[in-house]
Formats: sequence, structure tokens, C-alpha cells
Amino acid sequence: MSDLTVSGLTVEYSSGGYAARPVDGFTLDVPSGRLVLLRGASGCGKTTVLSVLAGILTPAAGTVRFGDVEVTALKGHALTQYRRHTVGVVFQAFNLVPSLSASENVQAPLRAAGTRPGAARQRAEALLAQVGLADRMSHRPGDLSGGQQQRVAIARALAHDPQLVLADEPTAHLDYIQVEGVLRLLRSLAGPGRIVVVATHDERLSPLADRVVEMTPMAAGEERPPEGLAYRPGQVIFEQGDEGDLVYVVEDGEVEIVRRLADGGEELLSRMGPGTYFGELAPLFGLRRSATARAVAPTTLTAYTIRTFRERNQDVWG
Amino acid sequence: MWLVSLRDLQWRRRRFLIAVVATALVFAMSLLMAGADAGLTSETRRIVDVVGADRWLVARGTSGPFTTVTAIPADAADQLGRLPGVRRADPLVIFHSTLRRASGLKDVNVIGYRPGGLGGPPVSTGRAPAATGELVADTRLGLPIGRTVDIGGRPLRVVGTADGVTYYFGGPTVFLSIADAQGLAFRGQPLAMTVVTKGVPQAVPAALQAMTPAQVRTDLDRPSKNGKATIQFLNVLLWLVAAGIIASIVYLSVLERLRDFAVFKATGASSSALYGGLALQAVLLSVTAALVATGLAHVLAPGFPFALELTAVAVLRLLLIALVVGLVASLVGLRRAVAVDPALAFGGG
Repeated sequence: MSDLTVSGLTVEYSSGGYAARPVDGFTLDVPSGRLVLLRGASGCGKTTVLSVLAGILTPAAGTVRFGDVEVTALKGHALTQYRRHTVGVVFQAFNLVPSLSASENVQAPLRAAGTRPGAARQRAEALLAQVGLADRMSHRPGDLSGGQQQRVAIARALAHDPQLVLADEPTAHLDYIQVEGVLRLLRSLAGPGRIVVVATHDERLSPLADRVVEMTPMAAGEERPPEGLAYRPGQVIFEQGDEGDLVYVVEDGEVEIVRRLADGGEELLSRMGPGTYFGELAPLFGLRRSATARAVAPTTLTAYTIRTFRERNQDVWG
Repeated sequence: MWLVSLRDLQWRRRRFLIAVVATALVFAMSLLMAGADAGLTSETRRIVDVVGADRWLVARGTSGPFTTVTAIPADAADQLGRLPGVRRADPLVIFHSTLRRASGLKDVNVIGYRPGGLGGPPVSTGRAPAATGELVADTRLGLPIGRTVDIGGRPLRVVGTADGVTYYFGGPTVFLSIADAQGLAFRGQPLAMTVVTKGVPQAVPAALQAMTPAQVRTDLDRPSKNGKATIQFLNVLLWLVAAGIIASIVYLSVLERLRDFAVFKATGASSSALYGGLALQAVLLSVTAALVATGLAHVLAPGFPFALELTAVAVLRLLLIALVVGLVASLVGLRRAVAVDPALAFGGG
């Protein structure tokens, strides 16, 4: 019975030359047998977390431990074995091989691991029967509905009877009729000896989960009155990648907005003087800060919650 | 991964079929050229073997009986026939001429020999010339027995035919009596290009030199040496073209299957397994093309102006080359497939 422990997970990569940090200090503990939902909007880092759990992406910091195995320390053959035997992934958009039948798609990871053809076929047939596709074994993905393809993808993820099943947006390409079958199936997978982690933006999945982890930064924190803030030259107002719930209006002084580059440098995006505002997009759309704001001179700001800011700027925001 | 590769071949069968046909044409050209090369070597060996001499005696300092323009007295054969070690000696007149017939002129090789002596034709139909005014023609000339033809203004009646007696890029050979040949080449003077012997003379007159059959073959091969080298060079180019066709098809297939490869890697498939699948696909394409090419070459070969030899060795060599071509071609796609980031599998549709 393996538990999943994620500690201080931080992922950085280059995006269009800029340093992106979609996951910053993410922590999670999941006991065996649970179904966990990573819920959030696009770009909040939930797929990135799944990639790290799957042993596909190496984090900049933090650890992932599954049972006795420190996943983030695995390399080479050990990593291949982990991907092959410990974890099963249900990819977004199914990612079935179009030239293979349903049975052959499920057999593929088994055959790649050296399982004999006969044994692989038997296992595939059993899994497809388990997901309710006993009569669709020889059908190619193009001849299956979205829900059926998703069930084939789930059967493929279960090929090696993994202890950790990861599903990325499993309902993204399904209509409401197909969703029901897939949800029931995912729920049934979480049981003794197995953890299921599902990344989704679909609210309908929440009742299924033993635990829901909200990945989207809190768009608007608790309401509070506008607050005056003072900064020294060089003092950081917020960092790129931070969650953000306030909009800032420059009362006095000057603020520079810079974006961190992948090579460690910075790019100056703009300088904000008295009467201008910045930082509204993160709280408005539930995104992380896409740049760093830093005082250039002794600066005085007024910080607003997004609701207060909108109320005071009806002419601009409607 | 071989199952995945086989299914992909089926899935994209039209494209692969086009690749097989294109590669088969290239391989067929390669096989035909190899056949031409083998045919040239073989016809040289055959014409020397037809004469069946142990030694060929030519004027000292000349290159060989088929390439010399220096004649020797034909009666040297009588003197040589009495030398120790020689059981028989006969003169041969060998030259190049044209044969006139209703359809026009035809280049021919002429061998004049002493009827009943060495150098006679391997008659397949009819009989050998027994007197002047008769000839045996290579079957490629298509002359029926009884037809009278004109060589150098001399009428000669076809009394027999012989198979596969050609040299100099398939030039057909006619066999005449030595008297007719001397009449054509030397205005009747009793001269010859060579004296051929059965048995090996223990001593050779100072004015002559003895050549072994192997030396005669080498001499006869020399004019076609550049042609053969060109054929071999073009063959290598054709193999490269075939590799290029296979490589481009496999690479294109890899580009279209990047997400599949990402999924395979994400689910624990090793790089060697990916390569195995790609190599299998390329080798299957290549070897299938080679097999098709073998059939195609056999269909096209009779249309060539000289006899091509499509030997089993050449076919086996082509299959081996196809194997190598396939493996090399798959390396192009391998680099791309192995470099695929498995994280690509997590991308949306």
C-alpha cells in the first residue's frame, strides 16, 4: 500500500524565452486508495504536476515520493521501470494510436515491456471487458465514440496494473452521456493499493473525489478596504509566478514591471508612474503573476481587491 | 513495437505502396545494371571458352588476339603444332565488321577459323561452316538458316546459329572459314591475328608471345573497363537514391507519429524498442521493394540490346543491400523519434 507524497514541488521552464513557473511549492499527501482531483483553469499547472508524478518532467525543486520510491530521483532504467509498471496515464484527447485496434492499443505498453503476445492479448481482452468494451476489441479508434476511446485509454493505462493512475482532463472531449460512464469507471479504479489523481477543470467531477485540490490561485481574496503601501527603491511588490489578489494604483513614485527570462536575465516591460495601475489580470482571471513589480524610487501605492477596484473604475471596467 | 510498425504500414499503405514502387524502380535499375556488368564479364569468359585453347599466340609486343591489329603468318600454326607439348594448333582471324541486310547495317564480330579446327562455333541449330561462303551467326542477329547475307561485299550463307557468342557490349559474333575471313581482312593474304593451341608449347618462337586464357580475357575486358566502373558507380548512386526514398517516407511517418512516440515513451517504451519498430518498417519497405524489383528486372531484361545476367548472387546481394539501405534509412527517423519529449503526450488534442 503506497502513499503519494509531494513536497515543495516547483517546476520551471522556458516559454517563448521567458522563465515560466507554473507550479511553485506545491505540496500534497494522498493515502493509498484515494481519488484526488487537481482542479483548476487552463494554465494553472495541474497537467504539469501530473507530468512530474508520471516521471516525465523533472522539477526544479521539491520531491515526489510514491511508497518507498523517490520518483524525482529516478533515472535511466529505474525511471523506465517506474513509468512502465508503477504509473498508468490516461492522456487528454485519448492519444490512442489510430492504426491499432482497441485491443492492440492496450497491448502496446505490454508488448513494449516484453510481455508475450498471447499473454498481452489476454490481458488486453480482460481489461477491455472490464471497461465495458468486450464487443469493440477489434475496432480502431476512429470507429469508436469519444467515450469508448476514453475507456480504451483507461484500459491501456491499467495494462500493467499500476498503483498510481493519472488522468488528464478525462472528460474534456466527451459529451454528458459519455462522461457518466467514464466517471463511474475512474471512481471504481481508486481502491485498496491504488491512487487515482485526476486533473480537470470540470466541476462535475468534484463529488467523485475523496479530496479536491484547487490549483487555480484564488482570484479574489477576502474583501477588504483599500490599503496604502509604501516601498523602498528596489523593493519587490510581487514576484512573477506568485498568486495575486490585489490591483495596485501608483500614488507616488515609480514602479517597473519586469519579466524573468529563461537565461536568468530580465526584460523591462514597462514603468508605471503616478495615476497608473497594474496587477489587475491575475486576480481578475485567476492567473499567476506573469511579471515582477518592483519599486524604482520611494513609492506609495494603494492596493485594491478586484471588486473594489471595479467599483471605483466603472468608466474603465464597466 | 513490431506490431505497431506493421499496423502503421497497413494504415498508411497507399503512401508505402508508392514508396515501394518508386524504390523498386530504382532497385530494378540497379539490378539491371548489375546484370549488364555480369553479362559483360560473362560474355568475355564465354567467347574465350568457346575457342577452348590452352594458349593464344600473338605477335610479340601486342596486347592480345581480340585487340591487336598486328597479324602473324597463318602457317605459323603448322610450325607451332609440331612443338613439344602442343597437340594441335590452328590460326584464327578476328576482326570487327558490318553485316548488311535488308533492314540496314549491323555491327558484328568476325572469327575466321579453320573448319574442323580450334575456334569453331558452339552450334545450336544447323551445322558449322564446312567451306567458304558459309557462316554461323549468333542467334541475336535473328538470321534464319539458308539466308544469304553480305559482309564486306562478300555474300555468305547462314548454315547454322549459335547461342550467346557475343563480346564488346553484346556485339554478336559470326564464324566463317578462315579463307573467307582472310579474304575480308587481308585481301586473301595467309595471315592471322593469333594461333591457338591445345596443349602448352614448351618454347615459343621469338616473334611470338603466348597468352593464357585468363590473360586473353583480361585483354578483352579492358575496353569495357570504364563502362563497368561507370555501372558500379551508378549502382552506388542508385542505392543512395533508394535509401533517400525510404528515409524520407520513414521520416515523414515519424513526424506524423510524434505524439504516438511520446505516448510510448511516457508509458515506458525504451528507445531501442522505438528504433526496432522503425528499423523493421524501413527494412520491410526496402526488402519488399527489392523483391518487386527482382520481378521487374526479369520482365525488363529481354528488352536490353545485349544479354543481361540476373544471377541469384545479384538478387541476394540486392536483398542484402536493401537490408542495409533500410537500416540506414531508419536512422534518419530514429533521431527524431528518440528525441521526442514524452511530455508531448500530455498535450491536448
